[in-house]
Amino acid sequence: LNAAPGRAPRQRVRFLPAPGPGGGGAVELVAARVPVLADHPLVRGPLFRKLKIGAGHRLDVKASGVFVLGIGHGNKLLTDLYNCHLTKVYTVGGLFGKATDDFSDTGNLVEKTTFDHITREKLERILAVIQGTNQKALLMYSNIDMKTQEAYELAVKGLIRPMGKSPPIITAVRCLQFALPEFQLEIHCLHETQQYLRKMVHEIGLELKSSAVCTQVRRIRDGVFTVDDALPRTQWNLQSIQQAIQNCQLKVETELEKTLG
Amino acid sequence: SKISSAACGYGFTLLASNTRDITKVWGMGLNKDSQLGFQRSRRDQTKGYEYVLEPSPIPLPLEKPQQTRVLQVSCGRAHSLVLTDSEGVFSMGNNSYGQCGRKVVEDEIYSGSHLIHQLKEFDSRVVQVVCGQDHSLFRTKKGTVYACGWGADGQTGLGHYNITSVPTKLHGDIAGVNIIQVSSYGDCCLAVSDEGDVFGWGNSEYLQLACVTETTQVNVPRHLPFKIGKIKEAACGGTGNVVLTEEGNVFVWGYGILGKGPNLIETAVPEMIPPSLFGWSDFSPDIRVAHVRCGLSQFAALTNRGELFVWGKNLRGCLGTGRMEDQYFPWRVTVPGEVVDVACGVDHMVSMVRSFT
Repeated sequence: LNAAPGRAPRQRVRFLPAPGPGGGGAVELVAARVPVLADHPLVRGPLFRKLKIGAGHRLDVKASGVFVLGIGHGNKLLTDLYNCHLTKVYTVGGLFGKATDDFSDTGNLVEKTTFDHITREKLERILAVIQGTNQKALLMYSNIDMKTQEAYELAVKGLIRPMGKSPPIITAVRCLQFALPEFQLEIHCLHETQQYLRKMVHEIGLELKSSAVCTQVRRIRDGVFTVDDALPRTQWNLQSIQQAIQNCQLKVETELEKTLG
Repeated sequence: SKISSAACGYGFTLLASNTRDITKVWGMGLNKDSQLGFQRSRRDQTKGYEYVLEPSPIPLPLEKPQQTRVLQVSCGRAHSLVLTDSEGVFSMGNNSYGQCGRKVVEDEIYSGSHLIHQLKEFDSRVVQVVCGQDHSLFRTKKGTVYACGWGADGQTGLGHYNITSVPTKLHGDIAGVNIIQVSSYGDCCLAVSDEGDVFGWGNSEYLQLACVTETTQVNVPRHLPFKIGKIKEAACGGTGNVVLTEEGNVFVWGYGILGKGPNLIETAVPEMIPPSLFGWSDFSPDIRVAHVRCGLSQFAALTNRGELFVWGKNLRGCLGTGRMEDQYFPWRVTVPGEVVDVACGVDHMVSMVRSFT
């Protein structure tokens, strides 16, 4: 950033003494535009000495995926985005047959079970029940009365969601892949932690009268930012970052307008 | 067997499979008018059950029971129609107004009756049967519509307000028009043509046909000049109607809980329900409503993703939302699978669901 050509130095009008017409000692003031010395790189030093970087929603060590960061003024946008309470989407991979103490496949094994009685139909039934209970929780924590015109207006805009603190809520789940013993789910949620998602995989295993561990948690969308907007490790350089920020600017602005008005 | 068609009547349900097996149709619910055929009682072999508590086979008097397939079923207040591919239409149940398509017999006792009437005389093969409250509509392959039954609201569309006991062809604005879908459940009827126009007749006390006439009963099919685009599908409820356009938008009009919040109680002009209520958003822009269905005071919409949205009066929890309150705008029903079709009744609903592949 410091190597890039900086802003041109400010100009100032100064009245400088210059030898007057008439010669011999007479001094005249002539208006001239000169660069301000305070802006000179040798006087000022490097433009950027520190950068304020803020982090968005947490992503723990064992999970992967989209992680939103804010730079400088972007930190204010981060707080606003947090207050929008937008949903996040995860792909969660699970494995039937094992149960561990921290619900992931790297923990200490607690029990092993059979799983050949599990069918895709049974899994989908459990997912439907999860969605149903979470939908009730969604309505309860959103604090709206479904019988009002206001509720209808909010529903049209897609704003029926808890706009304050609430326990983790799942807005949608579906099964992407099912190949015993592995399965993969797509989960849309709010106010969650990755450990909560791993616990959910464990509980799904218990409901199906077996056991399951979580093999993968990958965030594919965080509010308006999707995997396509995110930069992989090979692109962690200035150009790509600037490009990415520019691409997302419009999306972020429209979302903030829509939700916070 | 895989159920291919289901229909909800006023307190009873019919399920049909397009199998070649002998048993093709099952029924459950009220059977006081033999709308589910004769269900032999196990206690007394001469009497029939008046209430059928589990899906029981309905014996149809088919000539070739191992070849004919049942394509579709429909249920009204106390009568039902079964459509087959090669043996015409079978009607059973109450015939006090000729809705079964046969002559009205004075003082006929419908309870415990074995009579199932077969209807074959149409200009071409019947491809859709629809039951209104006390009338029946038949749509043929050539695009013509036949009707019979109660006509006091003009729902038979035959130009008079009398009973008709033989299926008779409709004229009016649909003469010569190729109709591709008919719908009715109460006393109002709608028909959609292949060009995307919608025609209506019958009861208009709730502004269903108020855009063309102020009369409350219309006994001849009238073209409804809506400027909302080409219409793909229409569904009629008791007091409200819904249509689906080619672009996938849903329009409602009539009276009652129409789906745009508690403030919209009646309108004579179709109003669009915002697609965002069916799950459409910037992140899922290709969600479209694929089908619309109507019960007496409920509406249901199926999206192309296999999701079911319902709204309307929630009589005895028929909407399936998990709550007993009425639903004033489309709300998603959590179903353990992909919903293929749904049938709405007065206070119950049946949906056919397939596991996600």
